[in-house]
Amino acid sequence: MIRPRERLWMNLAVGLIYVFLLAPVVVVVLAALNSGAYLRFPPEGLSFRWFVAFAHSRSFVRSLRFSLELATVVTVTSTIVGAMASLWVVRFSGRLRNTLRILMIAPLAVPGILTGIALLIFFYAVGWEKAGLAGLIVGHTLICVPYVFLITTAVLIRFDRTLEEAARNLGAGPFKTFWRITLPLIKGGVISGAVFAFVTSYDEFNISLLLSGVGTTPLPIELFDYLRFSFDPTAAVAGTISIGMALVVVLITQRLVGLESLYLGGD
Amino acid sequence: MTVTHAGAPAARAVPRDVGRHLLIIPALAVLTVFFVLPYLNLALISLMTPSHRAPYLRILTLGNYTGLLRDPFTWQVIWHTLWIGAATTVVCLVVSYPLAYHLARASRRLRGVFMVLVISPLLVGVLIRTYGWMILLQDTGLINQLLRAFGLRGAPLMYNNTGVLIGLVHVFVPFMVLSIAGTIQSIDPELEFASRSLGAGAWRTFWRVVLPLSLPGVLAGTILVFVLTVSSYVIPSLLGGFTVLTVPLLVVRTVTELFNWPGGSAFAIIFFLVTLVVVGSYVRAMSRASRPL
Amino acid sequence: MAQITLDHLTKRFGDAAAVQDLTLELGSGELVALLGPSGCGKTTTLRMIAGFETPTEGRVRLGDLDVTDAPPEKRNCGMVFQNYALFPHLTVEQNVAFGLEMRGVGRTEVRRRAGEILDKVGLRGLSGRYPRQLSGGQQQRTALARALVINPSVLLLDEPLANLDAKLREEMRFFIRSLQQEFHITTLYVTHDQAEALVLADRVAVLMNGVLQQYDSPERVYQRPRSAAVAGFIGLTNLIPGRVRACAGDRVVLDTAGGHVSSLGDASLREGADALLSIRPEHLELGRPDSSPEDGRNRMRGTIRERTFLGALIDFRVDVGRDLVLRVQGRVSASERVGDAVAVSFDPAAGWVLPRGGT
Repeated sequence: MIRPRERLWMNLAVGLIYVFLLAPVVVVVLAALNSGAYLRFPPEGLSFRWFVAFAHSRSFVRSLRFSLELATVVTVTSTIVGAMASLWVVRFSGRLRNTLRILMIAPLAVPGILTGIALLIFFYAVGWEKAGLAGLIVGHTLICVPYVFLITTAVLIRFDRTLEEAARNLGAGPFKTFWRITLPLIKGGVISGAVFAFVTSYDEFNISLLLSGVGTTPLPIELFDYLRFSFDPTAAVAGTISIGMALVVVLITQRLVGLESLYLGGD
Repeated sequence: MTVTHAGAPAARAVPRDVGRHLLIIPALAVLTVFFVLPYLNLALISLMTPSHRAPYLRILTLGNYTGLLRDPFTWQVIWHTLWIGAATTVVCLVVSYPLAYHLARASRRLRGVFMVLVISPLLVGVLIRTYGWMILLQDTGLINQLLRAFGLRGAPLMYNNTGVLIGLVHVFVPFMVLSIAGTIQSIDPELEFASRSLGAGAWRTFWRVVLPLSLPGVLAGTILVFVLTVSSYVIPSLLGGFTVLTVPLLVVRTVTELFNWPGGSAFAIIFFLVTLVVVGSYVRAMSRASRPL
Repeated sequence: MAQITLDHLTKRFGDAAAVQDLTLELGSGELVALLGPSGCGKTTTLRMIAGFETPTEGRVRLGDLDVTDAPPEKRNCGMVFQNYALFPHLTVEQNVAFGLEMRGVGRTEVRRRAGEILDKVGLRGLSGRYPRQLSGGQQQRTALARALVINPSVLLLDEPLANLDAKLREEMRFFIRSLQQEFHITTLYVTHDQAEALVLADRVAVLMNGVLQQYDSPERVYQRPRSAAVAGFIGLTNLIPGRVRACAGDRVVLDTAGGHVSSLGDASLREGADALLSIRPEHLELGRPDSSPEDGRNRMRGTIRERTFLGALIDFRVDVGRDLVLRVQGRVSASERVGDAVAVSFDPAAGWVLPRGGT
């Protein structure tokens, strides 16, 4: 858009769309801070009472803690598995490269609901009905690994191999080279991937729906059950926490890796 | 003069590469055992006989499939789901394209800011965003409050297809934007200037130059959003109440409430195949249409 | 004892051979230039010596140690990469210290030696900077320091000056040479710039299409090229085809389109053989067409077709008939103009006859 008037129209349209995009998110935060039980326009007043209510709700706090713990474990497992896989696919996969890339991303391409069902039925079939926490860890890792893989791969592909050659030339063996040279320079990507994995697990619904049980209920499931029947803004507090986390993650990723590494459809 | 050999022993029997291939073992193990096998198992279960006392009986049958395929209700739900998928994809494309264009043509610094705005909703999670829409779309929600404040009648925006559509479009905009923006960015801006200098206005330039060249991204984005939409569970269930029934809802209900695992699996597989056919025809049609390029 | 020995080194990528049967020896303290056009296999050769490529055939020896199977970190070569390959997350001092740390040198000793070498290359005071804060020349010197501080047995340089501008290139050329001589370190210097090779090297190895064409002192490579390819690559030359009429020792008489020519030539030539006379433009003189002094010089008559002012010289193209156009470079005072009839003459000892169908 070259002429000022065209640019104005474009900016207007884009502005409206961004309002559409961010409205629900903003509304949730407003509801959490609203003093009344229903969000009214004009807003009634500012209050933290819902935050207090949330902190007092045993089920919410318990599921919040559970979600955080689960996400931590899943972050560790998926970062290790995903980063190692990424290293192999970028460096050592040879002719299998494309096949493996597709395989690594496959869990994202199939409906999460189906994966949850398939896992549920599978655990039963192999006699592992009490999968519980372990089952959830497995399910979450499955969908978090692709994110770690994608981001780490984007960083590894850009990496200058002559730096590793220089290190080898100066006397460092393969492992030392990786530890002193490669890893410090790609750690931005690995950290971004890990952070993405954390939030993905924390927000994950579909798989948790099928695999959660008594005592192993992540926050989204707790929230879902709550929202089916009641409607007070205690739920909005949970939402606000998620929103805060999302912002932090995105800012970290932008800083470390640049969000353009998430461009889909071609590399 | 004797020559001494430095480094490895004379015979390099085992290539020193074997160690590195250990890197892929964990991922392969996880994917095979917890992804490939469960899906294969799912296909197997769809051929088992449903039972009231156990999740399924180990008796092979095609009854699940024949039963479902003959039932008009099955096709009704499938058709409804596909329709929602198509409608969502189209609206999402229209809404996302300006965003993607704006993002792709923004300066380096600004792009970072807008990327944050586009991607943050993604990370907030489907449930929270749906909740936000519930607050907005309810009969007593913000939008209807505003409408009534202006003396207009309230509009039923929730517990129906409209609400589901709005929610779905909203959730998948970031995916569509990410798919298209990359492609647009790779279109040389000079092409647009050239088109303008040859007499085409902004609109024509868009239709004749930018859009055709961005088709690969559009193709990828529409496929992605379509597939994600028809697989969605949370939004149809929360924003549709009990009136909007899509395949994922029906499958989950069949498995977890009716405890009919074989039936649910068969339905899931039928739907998977239908989706495959739909997407496949779409891809073929698109590539035929873009062949002149 | 040779410090670097390449023994029938071959490297194939699929069906194509990047390096074919290369045998080369470098003596202690020598600086040898590995010269050739892009894609001739010189960088591949260097990487085989450093250990980043495995030869398909042949052996690499450093001193009396056969290193062909050894990993790069065990070869003790100092290497300067074309893009310097400085570690971006380490300071100048840390970069230089890296090799020493790998060898288990103690902290104080590392600091001392790093400081010393940085002094020597003129980078003292910049030791705390990061590579991205340095100029091209400074990065170059850091890369050199990093390679030299470990006291390697050999030094490998991969087109080290390719990324610098012309003026800086000249300065750095002499700097590298003086460092190399001071350390008395056997050095293999890969370059495509033949002027650079001639200026710096003790010996020049000319590589084309993976095959070694000639391995000689700069003077001999320039004045006595072994093949038309070498003659054409090094400096400017006129290549005049002809047939050997007579030859004795290193004297040759050639039948050419411009008449009989006597010159010096390769001892392997035989009567009746197809050959090429290589005569460089600066050895040709223009004179009056009608004079025939008995001065023993070869003479051809022709017409000036082009005249170009090059600053320090004037470049002429002279048509001597039968499709033969000679390039002559004369002093600025030359008064000949386009269209003039002239005689082109040269001293027989200035020419060199090579066998045709050169390798």
